[in-house]
Amino acid sequence: MEIIQGLLIILLSFWMVIDQQGLVIVTWFPIMVALFAGLIMGDMQTAMVIGGTFQLMALGVANIGGSSVPNWGLAALVGIYVAIRTTNNIEEAKAVALAVGVPVGMLGIQLDVLAKILNSYVAQAAQKALNERKFKKMNHILMVGPLIFGLSTAIPTALCVIFGDKIVNVILDVVPQWFTDGLSIAGNMLPVVGIALLLQVMPAKKYLTMLIIGFIFSAYLKMPIFGISLLGFALAYYFFTTNMKKSVASVNNESVDFDEGDEFDE
Amino acid sequence: MSNEELVLTKKDINKAAIRYMFSACNIFNYQTQQGPAIVFGLEKSLRKIYPDDDDYVASLNNHYKYFNTTTWMANIILGASLAMEEKDGTDSLETVQAFKTGMMGPLAGIGDTLIWVLYPTIMGSIAAYMGLEGNPTGAIIWLLFNIFFVFFRIKLFSIGYDSGLKLITSLGDKLSVFTEAASVMGLTVVGALIPSVVKINTGIVFKTGDVEMPIQTEILDKIMPALLPVALTILIYKIIANKKMSVTSIIFLVIGISLVLSFFGVLTV
Repeated sequence: MEIIQGLLIILLSFWMVIDQQGLVIVTWFPIMVALFAGLIMGDMQTAMVIGGTFQLMALGVANIGGSSVPNWGLAALVGIYVAIRTTNNIEEAKAVALAVGVPVGMLGIQLDVLAKILNSYVAQAAQKALNERKFKKMNHILMVGPLIFGLSTAIPTALCVIFGDKIVNVILDVVPQWFTDGLSIAGNMLPVVGIALLLQVMPAKKYLTMLIIGFIFSAYLKMPIFGISLLGFALAYYFFTTNMKKSVASVNNESVDFDEGDEFDE
Repeated sequence: MSNEELVLTKKDINKAAIRYMFSACNIFNYQTQQGPAIVFGLEKSLRKIYPDDDDYVASLNNHYKYFNTTTWMANIILGASLAMEEKDGTDSLETVQAFKTGMMGPLAGIGDTLIWVLYPTIMGSIAAYMGLEGNPTGAIIWLLFNIFFVFFRIKLFSIGYDSGLKLITSLGDKLSVFTEAASVMGLTVVGALIPSVVKINTGIVFKTGDVEMPIQTEILDKIMPALLPVALTILIYKIIANKKMSVTSIIFLVIGISLVLSFFGVLTV
């Protein structure tokens, strides 16, 4: 059973990177990886808590324009596997997942860069095959690309599956309580990094009102996130319809005055 | 060579869409970026358009050139490119190249914001919040949306094939308003995240004589709920904006400080 779980986790890590860069169904977003890892490991609750923590760290991390970012999906995956194998309660699981996941996620950057460098050779070889009129060969060469990307996550995952839980078990026996507590505290604070990064790429200053509205409904009124999303959708819909009308009207008549007390007006 | 009759069927178009969507960034390299992936995606359809080997090679060499945009938006561009090549054959190659390079910038601008920032922010926030309570519902909803979008993107490819350039220009204005509206929703959700998912508790207790006063419940919580998470968010926001520290070192700094403060009992779980 443990061997099958280990194999499935490695396969999932192979697929998630190819999927994220291609079809985008499973994706490498931590909470989605956690969904499948939870199914494989048979412990959805722990997987979701760890996935949620890494998901929040990953919020502002978009790999736009082919830039390389920490692979928080990989971090969540190996974190979940090792934590479920070695711990018995959620707080400890979070601490272990963080201790194993963060370094592996960082390593993910290097391997991503390496994969993109190796793919230069794949591209050149494929184009060479084309010019030699070996069309079948060209197609086969092109398939090496996804293989490289898949291995770039499957290899570190395999190492964690084979050695990770043994090492962590030894460590857990010797580290003091304050250390695992400290890691748990870090796990609760790190989502801030994701949120802060996100605020840099979104128009946070322009729509500070929305940020505060969301905060008030959550902090003071304790509204669940689904309700707040609906509220956000309502505001967005209002914004969209009024601005679409404006842009249509301004095309028709430049001199119309639009001062209708619209709070989104800049 | 010029083809007057259409040779591609609906099935060919969908096949090209799926092949491209699979390869998308999976043959990504620093020189030509998504170029090879486009060759992989389109080559079956192009073979039908160009039965002659020379034309086929010329067309594929054209597609091997640098290309990079949001992969979901690329479906429109590639569908349109395929339509052009089917209509004009190798005469269209220069136009196809100019069209592709001209469109990839603007579409990436809007596409990256919508697809790689706003969509995962909104879905990820909801899913992560529910996940922290051990609830997979949010993740399952996100998965269902992704499956829906796969079909939508296959459709986008044929829309590109059918109407191409016309569509992109007519969508232009609407898309930017749409992007702004999505930001409004995204920021409302992000505002809600700070107090609900970031947990910081101090274990310090003030003692004067017989009176004990836990700072967290008696002082901080009374000023404002989630005061420490808000303060930390503003602090980290400023540090990142300052750009003197990399995100990686900020992460390790947070972990390091957590360990130290945990050791002295300043912060508790």
